[in-house]
Amino acid sequence: MNVLEAVGLGRRYGTTWALRECTLSVPAGHLVAVVGPNGAGKSTLLNLVVGLSRPSAGHLTVLGGHPAGSLAALDGIAFVAQDMSVYRHLTVTDMLHLTRNLNRRFDTAYARTRLDELGIHLTQKAGRLSGGQQAQLSLTLALARHPRLLVLDEPTASLDPLARHDFMGAVMTAMVDDGVSVVLSSHMLAELERVADYLVLLARGRVRLAGTVEDLLAAHRLVTVPADASSRALGWEVVERSAAGSMTHQLIRLPSVGSPLPPGWQARPVGIEELTLAYLRENAAAPIPTLAGAIR
Amino acid sequence: MTALAAAPLMPLRPVPWTRLAWVTWRRYRATLAGVTGVLAALAAYLVVSGERMHSAYATLSACRPAHSARCAFAYQTFHDTYSQPGILGVVLLFLPGIVGAFAGAPVLARELETGTFRYAWTQGAGRMRWAIAATIPGAVGVAAIIGIFGLLVTWYNTPLYDSGITPRLHATVFPVTGIAAAGWALAGFSLGALAGLLWRRVLPALATAFAVWFGLAFLAANQLRAHYRAPLTTASLQLPGSDLSLNQWWARHGARVPADRINHILQAVGFQQSGSSGKVTVQPGSAPSIDPVHYLLRRGYTQITSYQPDSRYWPFQWIEFGWLTALSAALLAVTLWTLRRRPA
Repeated sequence: MNVLEAVGLGRRYGTTWALRECTLSVPAGHLVAVVGPNGAGKSTLLNLVVGLSRPSAGHLTVLGGHPAGSLAALDGIAFVAQDMSVYRHLTVTDMLHLTRNLNRRFDTAYARTRLDELGIHLTQKAGRLSGGQQAQLSLTLALARHPRLLVLDEPTASLDPLARHDFMGAVMTAMVDDGVSVVLSSHMLAELERVADYLVLLARGRVRLAGTVEDLLAAHRLVTVPADASSRALGWEVVERSAAGSMTHQLIRLPSVGSPLPPGWQARPVGIEELTLAYLRENAAAPIPTLAGAIR
Repeated sequence: MTALAAAPLMPLRPVPWTRLAWVTWRRYRATLAGVTGVLAALAAYLVVSGERMHSAYATLSACRPAHSARCAFAYQTFHDTYSQPGILGVVLLFLPGIVGAFAGAPVLARELETGTFRYAWTQGAGRMRWAIAATIPGAVGVAAIIGIFGLLVTWYNTPLYDSGITPRLHATVFPVTGIAAAGWALAGFSLGALAGLLWRRVLPALATAFAVWFGLAFLAANQLRAHYRAPLTTASLQLPGSDLSLNQWWARHGARVPADRINHILQAVGFQQSGSSGKVTVQPGSAPSIDPVHYLLRRGYTQITSYQPDSRYWPFQWIEFGWLTALSAALLAVTLWTLRRRPA
């Protein structure tokens, strides 16, 4: 079963496409990191997944074929927004009751236990909680619904390192205990390296890279080759290159896993942060011509 | 993983309305308390000053002999004291619109303004159920509260109706009494809800909703209400105080005589029209000791008055309530339809 299935998905605001021709097939059971520079379409994609926004083109189904935004989809998806949107003047207890009454399932006992462990008092106003506590409250409300897919939009952006660590710990626990699939967008590449096992890289509204981390890492190598050698001649895609004397370092994408290297070339595996950065830099340097065409 | 494989494809039983009703109650009980508090304060004032007016009218009614100068003076005093609604009348006139817009504008706008829609509309109930549970009880509640308040205003105004000072159909009391008041509150709420969705901010939505509501109220008072049914006409010079007179003109042999012709006739015998009000004054010096109305009547002219009789109060109330409710229902339908289609 695929938690996300997008075909030619696009979302336009006015005349600008925030996301276009997005085709994705994400199987269940992963922690999917959606990465990309600001304005790449991360939030747009997540808003479409949780049904806050509707596709302008193509279609999107979730949780094994339910149209995004349908009741069945909403029932199985819990969303934690970037600004931890809670009713600031309501108490934690009120937020629990509210969420219980807005859903078919809500595990009040789980929520109370979890909040107790976190030292969040039920009588406190949600707006008076610290940033970390608000994030944990939002996450608790989401997890107590026992969703099958948890969607997190830059959940840790405003948290200090300790709160961030605790937050991601709670997400990982839920994945292991409940088998929840997770889709999260984030800028914290180092953090993703630790937790994500599926990567969706967006650039300028398009999917640049998508796949399990394992497959993506296996398909990329950092090679050191003579400056006059051409990787492209071998059918390899060069993502990034940098000169180092008579040699160049190149991050290449192998057409198939385990292609042999020419003699005298050196290759080493890449890390996810290195890989992501290379793709992000590529986009910073060269605008994608098709998008410019689309805007015009 | 096994849980995921067993994705239910059969339709889900949606979240029950009773639970959504609790959500609405929890979110709007503060608004309800605020509105009720303001109305209770206003009601207390109405009761106190209404008591005073009722007892003054009781004294006046008991005055005997009824046609004595003393009683005429008492009536004049009562008239001078209570016939002008003043600031209270203005407040009462705007109340349905203010309360309606105040309750309606935040329903969607506050969620959009504070970002809490990202929470509210991604819960299992879905945004349509959430929105229906928030708007319909809100609209009905506001209409009911203002409707009940309208009963108090009716009680307050009774001496003015009975003494013939203010007809029930008069523009200052008609829309704030009876079921029309509920209709006007409903319109304020619906305008507020739609403006909130379009503006996505509470204050501009409130201002817009009230401005549109005011325009509508102005239009109803000045253009629409007099035509709910064709006005009656009478040649009687003295219309009962409870009927609402609309217009007056002179006629002869059943045909209307233009006002400038009447003026011409009067000027020829020394009456002078002052200003544009149509009042006729007697020119100093050439004073004929005769009343211009009687002069015209004796010459075979008839003064025709068009009016709406007091008996049409309830039919008109239903007509006004009817179109306001239909308009409000349409506005709410547009709001929900837009909410469904529009990205958050």
